[in-house]
Amino acid sequence: MHRIFKAALGLLLAPLALPVSASEGTRIQVTGEIIDTWCYYSGVMGGPDAVVGSAHHTCALWCSAGGIPVGLLAEDGTVYMVLKIEQDAGSASGDTQLSLAAHTVTADGMLYERDGLNYLVVSEVVSDLDIANMTHEDYGTVPPFSFPDPNK
Amino acid sequence: MRKTALLLALLASPVTAQDFSEGSEAKTWNLYAEVPARFEATVVDVLCELTGDCPADCGAGTRQLGLVRSADDVLVLPMKNSQPAFTGAAEELLPFCGQTVEVDGLMIEDEDLAVNNVYLVQRIKAGDADWIKANTWTKKWAKKYPEAKGKGPWFRRDPRVKEVIGREGYLGLGPEADAAYAEENF
Repeated sequence: MHRIFKAALGLLLAPLALPVSASEGTRIQVTGEIIDTWCYYSGVMGGPDAVVGSAHHTCALWCSAGGIPVGLLAEDGTVYMVLKIEQDAGSASGDTQLSLAAHTVTADGMLYERDGLNYLVVSEVVSDLDIANMTHEDYGTVPPFSFPDPNK
Repeated sequence: MRKTALLLALLASPVTAQDFSEGSEAKTWNLYAEVPARFEATVVDVLCELTGDCPADCGAGTRQLGLVRSADDVLVLPMKNSQPAFTGAAEELLPFCGQTVEVDGLMIEDEDLAVNNVYLVQRIKAGDADWIKANTWTKKWAKKYPEAKGKGPWFRRDPRVKEVIGREGYLGLGPEADAAYAEENF
């Protein structure tokens, strides 16, 4: 019994001995929206359905330009942190990610999983549908001041 | 038999996250899933850490930087600095690229959104130096865009943001959609 216990304990602890930094990428193709991850995860501007699409386009531009990580929110709800788009490794305030704020895209690239987060290195934006999520019809603009009052 | 039962109990137990709140002086943002967290970590270039694509200077501020926590080797992704101004954390951490520092801030741990290990950094301490606030983004932006000097917050004056909004509108759907929205809502 003692031997069985030791063998089982060995099996339990074996994954802990693997080097955690040795991440291996997986090729994937995923379709979803380029989002502002801080507003999405923090809830600072409201629920997750309100901080995507046209309602949140201007805020997504601000956050992307401000260096907040952008993500790709897939149709199944998975969020991929985007680290590179084609030749542009500018994941903190980069030009390419800024140009895609709130756009629905299909991306081909490498997925790296680490400590509960998904990271995506996009090798090719296969298609760009522009803004396809008309959330302003339900939520107005989020935050409201992102659309300045034209009368002031 | 008792040992076997203990082992089975261990295997059945959920793995609980470590508590890093001790000693934290992080200020609340009243976020639904915020947890104060102060810990020691090494500042890394995330793309380098995961793929081996490693420029010498961590990307000189163009790349997201991560924090590999000393206690458990977990890669934490800092998304925000301490300014309530749509500003990220990479610029704050860049001076410490490759160094081990202590950070204090708010971790977001939200079971509903299945997210953890994302972070808002409020202050940084390198070695024996004093704590510094992670609030320098807007000053660095002002140096980078002197032509954008003026009244109002940076995000109303940023040349790149203004260019996109000028072309695509606030909703991103073009000037006609913006005009219709304004007509209906103001």
